[in-house]
Amino acid sequence: MKWHIRRVVKKGKGSVSYEEEIHFGDTLSIGRAADQAIFVNDLRAALEHATVTVLGNGRYRIEALVASGIRLDGRLEQNATATSGSQIEVGNTRITLVDPPKDFEAAVEVSLVDKTEVAAREDAEALPMTLAEAGAGKRRAAWIGLVSMLIIGLGIPLAAHYVPTLRIATEHMPMVAINAWDTGRLHDAHHTMAGDCQACHGEPFEVVQDEKCVACHTATPAHADPAQFPLPDIAEARCAHCHRDHNGNEGLVRNDQILCSDCHRNLTERIPNQTLLTNVEDFGRSHPQFSVLLPAWAEDGSFAPVRTSMDQIPLIESSGLKFPHATHLRERGVTSPSGTVNLVCADCHTAEPGGALIAPIDFEQHCQDCHRLDFDLRIPDRQVPHADVAAVQYMLDEFYAKVALEGGYDDVTAPVIVRQRRRPGQPPPSQEERREALAWAQQKSTQTTDTLFSGRACGVCHSVSKDPAAVRGGWQVAPVRVAGQWYEKSRFTHNAHVTMDCEACHIASQSQASADLLIPEITNCRQCHAGEHHQELLPSTCIACHGFHQSEHVLPSANL
Amino acid sequence: MHDSILNFRSYRYLWVSILLCAGSLTAYLWHDPIGVPNGGSWLGYTLGTIGAVLIVWLLWFGIRKRRYGRAIGTARGWLSAHVYLGTSLILISLLHSGFQVGWNIHTLALVLMLLVIFSGFFGVYAYLRYPALMTRNRASATREAMVAEIRELDAQALQLADKVDKSVHDAILRSIQNTRLGGGLWAQLTAKDDSGQALTRLKEAVTQAATADKQHRSGQTMVVMVDFLANQANDVQSDTLRRLIDLVSRKRALASRVARDIQLQALMEIWLYIHVPLSLALLGALTAHILSVFFYW
Repeated sequence: MKWHIRRVVKKGKGSVSYEEEIHFGDTLSIGRAADQAIFVNDLRAALEHATVTVLGNGRYRIEALVASGIRLDGRLEQNATATSGSQIEVGNTRITLVDPPKDFEAAVEVSLVDKTEVAAREDAEALPMTLAEAGAGKRRAAWIGLVSMLIIGLGIPLAAHYVPTLRIATEHMPMVAINAWDTGRLHDAHHTMAGDCQACHGEPFEVVQDEKCVACHTATPAHADPAQFPLPDIAEARCAHCHRDHNGNEGLVRNDQILCSDCHRNLTERIPNQTLLTNVEDFGRSHPQFSVLLPAWAEDGSFAPVRTSMDQIPLIESSGLKFPHATHLRERGVTSPSGTVNLVCADCHTAEPGGALIAPIDFEQHCQDCHRLDFDLRIPDRQVPHADVAAVQYMLDEFYAKVALEGGYDDVTAPVIVRQRRRPGQPPPSQEERREALAWAQQKSTQTTDTLFSGRACGVCHSVSKDPAAVRGGWQVAPVRVAGQWYEKSRFTHNAHVTMDCEACHIASQSQASADLLIPEITNCRQCHAGEHHQELLPSTCIACHGFHQSEHVLPSANL
Repeated sequence: MHDSILNFRSYRYLWVSILLCAGSLTAYLWHDPIGVPNGGSWLGYTLGTIGAVLIVWLLWFGIRKRRYGRAIGTARGWLSAHVYLGTSLILISLLHSGFQVGWNIHTLALVLMLLVIFSGFFGVYAYLRYPALMTRNRASATREAMVAEIRELDAQALQLADKVDKSVHDAILRSIQNTRLGGGLWAQLTAKDDSGQALTRLKEAVTQAATADKQHRSGQTMVVMVDFLANQANDVQSDTLRRLIDLVSRKRALASRVARDIQLQALMEIWLYIHVPLSLALLGALTAHILSVFFYW
């Protein structure tokens, strides 16, 4: 194997000269030892540092003989294959593999590595010693953070606001598009609108307008007469001032005391001579006595209850009924056709289906078992109908006419034709006899009716009177109201109090007369309930009993 | 007592922050909002405004600290206020939100803010602790001086190694090539350097030379090495080897100190690579938060 070795000798001022030599052998040895083909005069080279072997076709095998390796084309290698043009560096010497000239199998060019070049390379190869040198950057990451937040938080949601298809597509993706703006869970009542922000939020940067609310809530009553007390004058005008959503199931409906007491604590000074209401601030401390609706009837007979303060003395309930509670609730019980019965409140008083009010008393259901309306000892099963004066007379007229015509009525005061039982084949009674029988029947019916109304039946419980001008009958029963709404301004519900004993509020067992009003007044409620901030009693705000929107007028904006 | 960013002017900004927090907390407890506490009440808006102004002011610190000599107050005063007022933001922002969180940009802003603040806490720790550790580690030298000394030791070692044995020379040559001062993020933070290997390799090389010399192929490295040193006919070579081991040990100690120096500096800086980008991300999220709540007022 014939090697061509060309040494580049620098002569200063940039001029160079070449020294050429020929080397014979399979390998070209490189090292600091004197016997090496290429002598490297540098301590950084081992005595026998590396060898280059020709593989043919312009390829060479480079082998380092020491563990420190050699630098081939800038990289440290132990064992590698190289081609012409590759550069090997050992210490201060650079050996470039070149295409062999004619008659040579291999050729290298040997030169010294420039010191400045080495220094530059060392600097370039020096490992980073600070984070900045290691490529860490704050500026780029900061820009990425800033811009990505603006895109996620503003760009995409804004796009979804203006592009309905994007909004619908991202409707159920948390944190995406408009959902990123969601400030909190909607109240359950509004959940159907969760994906449609514009159902409430109209123009950008504009507060939620009332029109959006009343678009659905069309029949919302006003707080007071909108003509006399325009809402902007008595409170903040917007619905959303009080009704704030995106706070879960809390906060949408206000039930704090200040909502009302803000104005009502000094209402009489605020609007003097314009209101019938009294000042109120706190249920426990400052609330007027209740006003009850006492039953009363107008001239025309229509029910016209009179609102009366529970402080009025005497306080008489004119229910139209004579009913001593004490008698019915006495401990030894009451005598009934089926024996002695111990009555309890619920035997007569049950809640209406809604649970708020007590259902009216029903004679047939609650009274008739004991207070029977039978009228003739001979036919004890027959009873007159209840609550219809005219029907009683009709029924008795018809009943006794039938009895008289059929005969067989066992009464010594009755004419013979009435007492005589008709037999089959016997000729029908004569005209005269029939007239006589019907005359008796009418007399008997009138007499029985009078007895029923005046004493034995109706008069026991009802106030009964007779029209003196009436030729026959003329009985009148005073109207009755025993159950219904007593406090029209509040929303009391029995449902919330079913765990209590009835006597806790209604002291019925002591009541001897129906004139006793058994409806509780404010001190009774204050045994348990007090104002919002009371520490021991049940904190109850105005909204517990009253409604803000309870005027008979509908919100004016609802008519837009 | 040493004047630091924490006790600047007798804890002036600590007191300012405590007053701010106490005021906010008192207002929050006293306030009886409509519904539940939230950012939409007047107190919510007030605390939100205070928080937003504070965040912008805290971000301004990044600009202020570069304005040497033409700004109000000292950089240390600003940093002290930056730390304390930044910390007070945790309470103010939570009170502002009424402790409500959700999957939204508003809570994302809160989370980013908390990350910025807590990364800042590490920064305070780093600034208070690491400079002293760095000074002690450098032992009144500079890093450049230590690196130059390592290069010098390398050159000396090569010369000495050449006088001992070619395998020893090779081991030294390799150790010079493998000396790694600094490196990537992880290498810097974990203070990795390969200088320990150099000594091991040198010992291996000596052992190798010794076993080759005496055809002694068994035995423990140290024993063989001592044996080799003790039996060296040439006192000069034995002395050279001792000096070489001394050189390599010194280099190893130096390289470790440089690596530790790099590590301490990296630790002192690394939190800023979280603190600064996240604070800018926070600025973006905060802008989105404010604009969005008024867009859908």
